[in-house]
Amino acid sequence: MANLPDINVAPPVLFNIGPFEISNAMIGMWGVTLILLIWAVVVRHKSGIIPSRAQVLFEGIMEFMWDKMLIAFGSEKRAHRFFPLILTIFLTLLVANQFMLIPFVESIVTADGVQLFRAPASHYSLPIIYTVTILIISHILALAVKPIRHIGNFIKLDELFKIRKLKDIPMALLNVFLGLLDIVGEFAKLASLSTRLFGNLFAGSIIVGIIGGLTAYTQFIVPIPFVVLGILSGIVQAFVFAMLSILYISSTLNSVSPPETAAAGQATN
Amino acid sequence: MEAEAAKLLAAGLCMGLGAIGSGVGEGYVGGRALEAMARNPKVADKIFTNMIVAIALAESTAIYSLVVSLIILFVF
Repeated sequence: MANLPDINVAPPVLFNIGPFEISNAMIGMWGVTLILLIWAVVVRHKSGIIPSRAQVLFEGIMEFMWDKMLIAFGSEKRAHRFFPLILTIFLTLLVANQFMLIPFVESIVTADGVQLFRAPASHYSLPIIYTVTILIISHILALAVKPIRHIGNFIKLDELFKIRKLKDIPMALLNVFLGLLDIVGEFAKLASLSTRLFGNLFAGSIIVGIIGGLTAYTQFIVPIPFVVLGILSGIVQAFVFAMLSILYISSTLNSVSPPETAAAGQATN
Repeated sequence: MEAEAAKLLAAGLCMGLGAIGSGVGEGYVGGRALEAMARNPKVADKIFTNMIVAIALAESTAIYSLVVSLIILFVF
């Protein structure tokens, strides 16, 4: 425990704007927003039949996500409706998880010796707000489409009316109980989806810090494999987060109203 | 035992025991995905993305224990 870096689960607050605490993770997020805006302007400005490099990269990501969404939602119309949301989350996380790799970003400190930037997803607020948004959207839309059926997926009173013989009673009670367990499952989704992203990003930055702080000899070449691992896990976690949010929305929505079979058949071709 | 020693021990045990299950699960997922890819190389891309998602799901318990041990170490 020689000279370990200062490790805080909650990011340090740099200054306040009114009641809002501006932490360094938040400033990092502003940087990410700036990068995304510049990328969008460049792609939009130079878009054409002969694509530029930025456009090829963007279109590649877009088509990749579109294929995944088409398979998950089963209908082109429904996938198109959620495409902007999912792509926004995916692009934001993709840039945000690699944000600390930009040269000198990690070295900028304020007068108190606090880092000015921090990987945005290593502040628990960002993963949890994304997860809450995804879950609320899925449930509100399912309630708007078929409210009775959506509630009935969790509180399965209809099983009780299916009892014909005495033998059916244990099975019906079990199904009712399993429906109630699904409510717990929804909260487990909230915890698992957000903690996964937060844990990976937070651990990535801490491991590099600890390895670098162990001795004077491990500061230079030894952290490189861990940085590479951090890049890989950042990309994979962005993809997994987008993928799981697609699955959560589509499974909730498709359980209340299955997509049109004609469109589904077209999608699989 | 001092409180500091108990803290360090708890963090180490939490991480080590929590990683067992996810290690076994990830190995199983990866092995089965490789088997499927070897049997049917045409759908290797599809299997690969699904494998990544499944591995990330299997990894989540290890991540929980990691977060818990980090909280033990750095918050309390």
